[in-house]
Amino acid sequence: MLQRYLDPTILAGISGLDLVAKTVVDGFVAGLHRSPDFGFSQEFAEYRAYTPGDDLRAVDWNVYARTERIYLKRFRGETNSMLTILLDASNSMQFGSHKVNKMDYARYLAASLFYLAIHGQRDAAGLLTFDDEIRNFIRPSTRQGQLPRLLAGLEQAEPRARTDFAKPMRYFPEFLKRRGMVLIVSDFWESPEKLIQEIEPLRFHGNEVVLFHILDPEDVRPKMNGPAILVDMETNAELEVTPDYAKTEYREKVQAHLTQLRDRALGAGLGYCLLMTDRPLDDALREYLTLRGGRQ
Amino acid sequence: MGLFAPWFLAGLVGLGLPVYLHLLKRQTMKPKPVSSLMFFESRTQSSTRHRRLRYLLLMALRLLVLLLLILAFANPFVNRDSAALASNRLVLLVIDNSFSMRAGTRLSDAKDQAMSVLAAKGAARAQVASFGSQLRLMTQPVEDQAALRAAVQAIQPGDEHGNFGELSRAVRGIAESVHMPIEFHVFSDMQRGDLAATFTDMALPDNVKLVTHAVVTKAQPNWTVESVDAPGQVWGKDAKPVHVQAVIAGYGTPAAQRTVSLVVNDKVTATKTVAVPANGRVSVDFPSLEVPYGFSRCEVKIDSADGFAADDLRRFAIERSDPQKVLLVHNYGDNRSPLYIGAALGAAAQSAFIVESISVNEAADRKPSNYAFIILSDLNALPQLLENSLTGYVKAGGSLLITAGTTTGGRTQIPIFGAHVIETRDYTRSPERFMGVGEFDSSYPAVAKADGWPGVKFFYALNVDPGTGADAARVIVRLSDQTPLLLDKRIGEGRVVLLTSGLDNLTNDFPLHPAFVPFIEQTARYLAGSERQGGARTVDAFLELRNAREQGQGVEVTDPEGKRPLTLSEAASAQSFQLTEAGYYQLRLANGRQNEVGVNPDPKESNLDVIPEDVLSLWQGKGGSSSEAAAGPVAPHTTPESFWWWVMLLVLCAAVAESVLASRYLGTQREE
Repeated sequence: MLQRYLDPTILAGISGLDLVAKTVVDGFVAGLHRSPDFGFSQEFAEYRAYTPGDDLRAVDWNVYARTERIYLKRFRGETNSMLTILLDASNSMQFGSHKVNKMDYARYLAASLFYLAIHGQRDAAGLLTFDDEIRNFIRPSTRQGQLPRLLAGLEQAEPRARTDFAKPMRYFPEFLKRRGMVLIVSDFWESPEKLIQEIEPLRFHGNEVVLFHILDPEDVRPKMNGPAILVDMETNAELEVTPDYAKTEYREKVQAHLTQLRDRALGAGLGYCLLMTDRPLDDALREYLTLRGGRQ
Repeated sequence: MGLFAPWFLAGLVGLGLPVYLHLLKRQTMKPKPVSSLMFFESRTQSSTRHRRLRYLLLMALRLLVLLLLILAFANPFVNRDSAALASNRLVLLVIDNSFSMRAGTRLSDAKDQAMSVLAAKGAARAQVASFGSQLRLMTQPVEDQAALRAAVQAIQPGDEHGNFGELSRAVRGIAESVHMPIEFHVFSDMQRGDLAATFTDMALPDNVKLVTHAVVTKAQPNWTVESVDAPGQVWGKDAKPVHVQAVIAGYGTPAAQRTVSLVVNDKVTATKTVAVPANGRVSVDFPSLEVPYGFSRCEVKIDSADGFAADDLRRFAIERSDPQKVLLVHNYGDNRSPLYIGAALGAAAQSAFIVESISVNEAADRKPSNYAFIILSDLNALPQLLENSLTGYVKAGGSLLITAGTTTGGRTQIPIFGAHVIETRDYTRSPERFMGVGEFDSSYPAVAKADGWPGVKFFYALNVDPGTGADAARVIVRLSDQTPLLLDKRIGEGRVVLLTSGLDNLTNDFPLHPAFVPFIEQTARYLAGSERQGGARTVDAFLELRNAREQGQGVEVTDPEGKRPLTLSEAASAQSFQLTEAGYYQLRLANGRQNEVGVNPDPKESNLDVIPEDVLSLWQGKGGSSSEAAAGPVAPHTTPESFWWWVMLLVLCAAVAESVLASRYLGTQREE
């Protein structure tokens, strides 16, 4: 039932990113099964009969003392990771054809991931917002009050200027002290080749890098009531375009762009997740948890 | 071509709206922000050309829709030569079935000619009618030849008197209602007697083209019984023999001997041979007709030996019945009133009434209902028992004649009649010594036949109050000083006539005047309810079935064929009945009396003289040419024919085309 709260248009009616994040994560988690992975943590999972080769550290000796049988006491897996979200705060992220624009959607997404990481996984989480410069950086931490800081950082991230991945990607590794997950949230209006070329180095530092490609439905299928003059939100360039073109050639080009970006990202060992702003956030959270699970 | 509502053309200013929207109002493009122009390409040139072309086509369609809509509201029409279209012309076939068409084979000849015309007209729209005294439509305007032929064959000979004036009036009515040219064919013997009194009565509208088809072209000699004079009633077994006088007429005939027979109840009772002069008349007397009690059907017949046998007899009915008793109540010692009243009734009413005179003292034990009516002659004191009895008699439908002389002048109120005596007027003390009749109601039968009682001197009269409202008495005659002299009042179901003077030759000299006898006769017939009876009528005449006081009482009419032509509602309410057939009609009137009348065709139908050709040509509106040659085309006549619904159809088509084009244009922006 809570799944419906993952709808971006409903989230837009909730004031405060903390509440949005809590709503999203609680709703999402309530719909998930437990992780099938086991590990070292204080949360008991099950007993299992010992088989040769099992780690003797997992034997519950108390049970053995009482029953003279060897059982392994298993706990739910628990690892500590570091989550850093690189949020594109360029002007193009302001575009939205409905109630939630791309920047809002990116905020909800980031807030939800932060909430999930800090409250659910006890991970360190950090935020870096950028356009053509690095505009804000909140170092990943598990300290008390980290989530409010991150959410405040998201609130302050007002879109401006244009996107340029080169400079942020060049300086970002300097901020990272240890490996972790790097999630890049952007609409990626850039050549895939150049984009992967600039992002790929992050992976060399041992980070798990995932591209969250946020697009508005009209970015893919623009609606035009006639020949119109289109204005680029980042460069302010104008272009008169016909509906016929927008309906045919443009769509093909965008689709090719998306395919190329996904293929190149996966080819470079990067994760890729395309998120449309009219769809619920659970795809993004599931992607994160999948990625998180793969790291333990 | 024209417009029925040209003022709707003011809507043409509305055409400026599409022009403004498409041409004058510049299409402004609002810049639309997008995330990136990375994959967009400019397509300005081709899109503008394409758009403008479609806009112009769209604008043209919208202008066309508006223009057609305005045109439809203006209701355009075209003048069409309606005569050229068979569907816009009505062929009206009228066959004369008046009494004269019974002569020879006239009616069948007329039908044959009508059939020929029908065959010649093919699929034209036609209507069949017959006419005698009035037009009778046999079909609706149809193109079904079978129905039209059946209607022609169904026309039966009638007994009515043909009337071209009435026929023309009916055709004028049809022409006003059908709004199309009428080819008006008349199949008739073109009897001269059928012409209207004035030629203007026979005028036809411009869109009616008359074509006459005469079944005979020249007059035929014909003898007929033109009229019969015979009483309708004979009273008592000792009544004098009935005198019957008949007039035998010849039309276009040579001098000839004719045998005339008097037939009573299908038995020839007398035969005479008379010499009828050439084209002249002769009267025949049958001085001693004896008829039995009840109704007798009588005829006067001739052996005409001409081609028109149907008019060789004339019917009349005679009723023999016992005379009715009339009770005359007078003062003791009054011998003058019985004398004058009895003498007048005996002289005028053919012994229809027997007067029984008694003094007021003897009247108490008489049963009023045994008398046709009762006369109270100048009574002063009326015994209460008698007054009550008479009041009940009147209210139950009886009739009274009250005369008020000097004796009644001592009362303050007229008994039973109820009028207050205002004063007595003794005119012998006036300078003129008498008073004459001032004004009178000529519609009242008792007065009309006596022509207002000229020269009658009234020396004494009572001035009574006729009353007001529904119970007021009707004043029939007033003296010159406005004193009511003769009053009629309805009391209950009965009626009372009051004469405010006496009938004893003392208060006036009325009994000595010639007007006295018809007054007594008509008053007696009026009070006895027998004034309507008579022995012979003419076809097309109206028979009065009831008077004003007989509303709601059923009557019964049986026609010569033994059928009852009146419906139940008509029998309960009809005031009169038109006699449409020759023969004997039996009637049971509202007052319960039986009656039988012999009905004869109009004598004018026996004159078989035909209308001259020049008169017919004049009627057809074309002097000189023959009637048969007149079957040419009808004069050109244009009829405005609206075609607004065709325009509306075009509006619909243009609107659909506009919608398709507009949706195609706008549809390029829609997502699948």
